[in-house]
Amino acid sequence: MKAEHRQGWLFVAPWALGFLLLTAGPMLYSLYLSGTSATLLSPPQWIGLENYRRMASDPLFYRSLGNTAAYAAMGVPAGLLLALGLALLLNAPVCGIGFFRTLFFLPSVTNTVALAVLWLWLLNPEFGLLNAGLRACGVEGPLWLQSETWAKPALVLMSLWTAGGQAVIFLAALQGVPRELTEAAAIDGAGPVRRFLAVTLPLISPALLFNLIMGLVGALQVFTQAFVLTGGVQPGSEGGPNQATLFIVLYIYKKAFQEFDLGYASALAWALFVIIVGCTALAWRLARERVHYEGGTP
Amino acid sequence: MSRPREDGGSELARDRLDRPARRVASQLAPTLLLLTGLLAGCGRPAADERIITYNCAASTSDIAALQLAAADFRARTGIELRLNPFSGEEKLYAMIAAGQAPDVFYTNGAVRDRLAAEGRLLDLRPYAEKDPLFARLRPEIRAAAASVDGGIYSLSNWTHTCGVYYDRAAFAAAGVPAPTADWTWDDFTAAARRLTTPAAPGARPARYGVYIPAHFIEALEQMNHAPIPRDALLLDLPPESREVYAAYLRLVHDGVMPDPRRVQAMGMQAAQLLQAGRVAMLVEAVPHPGLIETLTIDWGVAPLPCFGAKSPQYFRSASGGLSISADTRHPADAWRTLAWLIGEAAPYQPNPVLADADFAVAWEQKYPRLRGTGFREVWSLSEQHAGGDPRYFVRFASWSMAPVMTRLQPWLDRLWAGDATLDEVVAAVPGINAGVRADLARQARSTALRPAWKAALERALADAPH
Amino acid sequence: MSAPRAGPAAVARLGLTYVALVALGAIFSAPVVWMFSSSLHGLAGVFAQPFRWLPAPPHWENYVRAVTILPVPRFLLNTVIITAPVMAATLVSSALVAYGFARFRFPGRDALFALCLATMMLPGQVTMIPLYRLFAWLGWVDTYLPLIVPSLFGSPFYIFLLRQFFLTIPRDSEEAALIDGASRLRIWWSIVLPQARPAVATVLIFTFIGTWNDFFGPLLYLNSPEKATLTLGLNLMKTQVLGSGVVEWNILMAASLLVLLPNVILFFAAQRHFLRGLTMGVGK
Repeated sequence: MKAEHRQGWLFVAPWALGFLLLTAGPMLYSLYLSGTSATLLSPPQWIGLENYRRMASDPLFYRSLGNTAAYAAMGVPAGLLLALGLALLLNAPVCGIGFFRTLFFLPSVTNTVALAVLWLWLLNPEFGLLNAGLRACGVEGPLWLQSETWAKPALVLMSLWTAGGQAVIFLAALQGVPRELTEAAAIDGAGPVRRFLAVTLPLISPALLFNLIMGLVGALQVFTQAFVLTGGVQPGSEGGPNQATLFIVLYIYKKAFQEFDLGYASALAWALFVIIVGCTALAWRLARERVHYEGGTP
Repeated sequence: MSRPREDGGSELARDRLDRPARRVASQLAPTLLLLTGLLAGCGRPAADERIITYNCAASTSDIAALQLAAADFRARTGIELRLNPFSGEEKLYAMIAAGQAPDVFYTNGAVRDRLAAEGRLLDLRPYAEKDPLFARLRPEIRAAAASVDGGIYSLSNWTHTCGVYYDRAAFAAAGVPAPTADWTWDDFTAAARRLTTPAAPGARPARYGVYIPAHFIEALEQMNHAPIPRDALLLDLPPESREVYAAYLRLVHDGVMPDPRRVQAMGMQAAQLLQAGRVAMLVEAVPHPGLIETLTIDWGVAPLPCFGAKSPQYFRSASGGLSISADTRHPADAWRTLAWLIGEAAPYQPNPVLADADFAVAWEQKYPRLRGTGFREVWSLSEQHAGGDPRYFVRFASWSMAPVMTRLQPWLDRLWAGDATLDEVVAAVPGINAGVRADLARQARSTALRPAWKAALERALADAPH
Repeated sequence: MSAPRAGPAAVARLGLTYVALVALGAIFSAPVVWMFSSSLHGLAGVFAQPFRWLPAPPHWENYVRAVTILPVPRFLLNTVIITAPVMAATLVSSALVAYGFARFRFPGRDALFALCLATMMLPGQVTMIPLYRLFAWLGWVDTYLPLIVPSLFGSPFYIFLLRQFFLTIPRDSEEAALIDGASRLRIWWSIVLPQARPAVATVLIFTFIGTWNDFFGPLLYLNSPEKATLTLGLNLMKTQVLGSGVVEWNILMAASLLVLLPNVILFFAAQRHFLRGLTMGVGK
């Protein structure tokens, strides 16, 4: 065995060990459960592909897929653009920038319960700040979380508030952009937009790829906000008005922990897994040619 | 709820508190990691120790009160109560699946039946029959305890009714007489109309006459004598229910009640409508500690109005209750703990589930401002004319609640949004039920159900109207 | 910081930057301002309509109650006991693995890396119970081990993040060190990690925040009240037995702010490492 092979293996060994000890078992077990009629607590009974057949004719599966896709389609690009913009702004060499960086990061560290209460209040159609602002501009705001049309955009809006996290990663990447390069481009007569596109963007493209992939993975598994904000008082009302925010992971949760249908929930989870892997592979492939690694191709 | 922290807090060791956290982090972290590993091995109770673990949602003051009471309980019985105040659905199921279920824990009705059907809960009958506590429970609490197979898998630890909270000043200013116990829906809507402050054309009124959160429609259905089944498999919207839905929608349409979608039921928002003078009447739970402690206006509370000459059937809701794990090593001790919690333990008292406790009087002592509000009258009327629990949680059998509600709720959402008419919702019922049937048939095939439950489900499916 | 170059264009740009920073900063800091404002209200004020941003009079005693209602020092210590080793272990193990994926060619590397990413793509809801059973079988329930031990094996999120950053570092100095006979581990420690300082700072910030504020992990694995973390403690303030009390939202907000504070301090301290190269003006 070549020394480089051995060393490489040694370096990745911690993760590989953890995968074998802690991750592989539960993953494979859930794959097995997806072929059973397991309830949450009883021994599973093998039923083959029945759960997957049932999924194919389950309108709520398609509804939740559509909701999730719509959420990701809105949230991922908007989140990336906002985070990139914030990072560029927060990279400005001005006095007190550390203070401003901290301000922008605040929503990302705020307790979820506090945030949920705040959002319910902000988005309250009658008394919320958002609609009060709109009313001041002469516009009657929508019902937000109570509206089939606006519930998803409201959740996207909420997720944008925590763009500070992604922005920090961009900010870290921007530190690797040598000033000589941008200055040289400026001397060559390149404007700020051109400098950004030709010099900065390629150099931070690895971070862009990271944020894109993780944004996608996160958006396709969106759960907490929908669970906290649109889980109603009544049974069956989780998932928001007319099930507009019934995202796939929320549906999985509902099946597993409220209806004890763990076999079906596992099948749903594995279907989602395949979808996310597919989307990621596609994004990876599309990005591969465009991502520039200063240290050479991996 | 401001009990001093001496009691609960002191149990939580105070040594080491002054040590700067930073130093611990930098120097002791590896040692502590090791230490926790060692502690893991020795934290286990010996089999003969009489330790009962109790998993419940509890606030710090609840924990303090419980721990104090538990010391006394231990002195008397030799049973040590170990409190686990971190609760959640996933956690409970994970614990049960891992064979480490707490001895005593909270379950709601639907969860209780699902767990019992899979043999995860102890049947409390043999213990309940012998214990005087069971006889002390209100009849409706005893009735709510029984499951499909005749077993008792939980005992409710709380019960409440609901009433119409109203703003006395608003009534006086509008010249509307205060509600009486025998008022009718017509009196109620007439009052709501007069209490609504007329708005400029196109704008919303400054004050609405009333707000009824949508989840109290079920209480109105009961007042209108809609036949409220128990453990039904399929959905039925009888004419009495439709009348109530129509009446509810009319309140919104006539502008005397805010659109329920505009008022999110979060925290104290509904109560704040009353506090801020945005509504003059509000239907809410009785008792309601949050409301009692935060309202500063002069308020009263009246029973729900009757529909025409129909006799009152007030909302009485037994909450979920305490269950015992089938895996418990000390079933008799666990029962004794459960009975003690409901019948004697500190934060539960005075417990309205006990027929022999004068709950209203005790609460008036606890919250003096309740005196003269009508609280006592509402409570005693609900005892005299207890209509039972009309909530969807209870109406449907545990196995059909999710299948029904998942299909019904979107229709109700569309109904509130004006995207569907009541007739369309009624017309959708057979389709909803067909879907529910398919779900139930699949559940009946499951091998996880114990025979008694499987038979009950199959029988019910066969009997259910097509 | 580098002073703006003279000239009206530069001054205008600086002004514009500040306008953007202040305007957007106001939006992004709103939740904390709101929490602060709520924490100074009486109980009814939190949900009062309309909301008053400046409570009169401010209830500063809410903060006293927030730190006395819970055994804060104990919970703080518990939280530190979990957070400190998790930060160290996550950084070291993730950085080792990331370096392995970024710099070595070995058979199966790309497949392993894909697998590593894939473990993030299965919703945790369906693997939670088997994992809990595993930890229960080990006898680790109600200890801090299930919360700490997994971090020894690296976290896919940080492995991926660090890999991306390591790949942007030119190889020249590493290759020179290799020729000088330095071991790979030494190169990783003294050449690669220092060059990836912004990324390392990011990982530390994120692991701190993730662990300090984690709610679900401690909820799942801890049982004894005296083992609670601060986040679990916050939750104790909003749950209760039966309808026997009210949630004191104002106190909860005060306590939430106090729990938030270390996050803010850490971030403020760590963001100094986001400084550009050597040509950059001096940091304060």
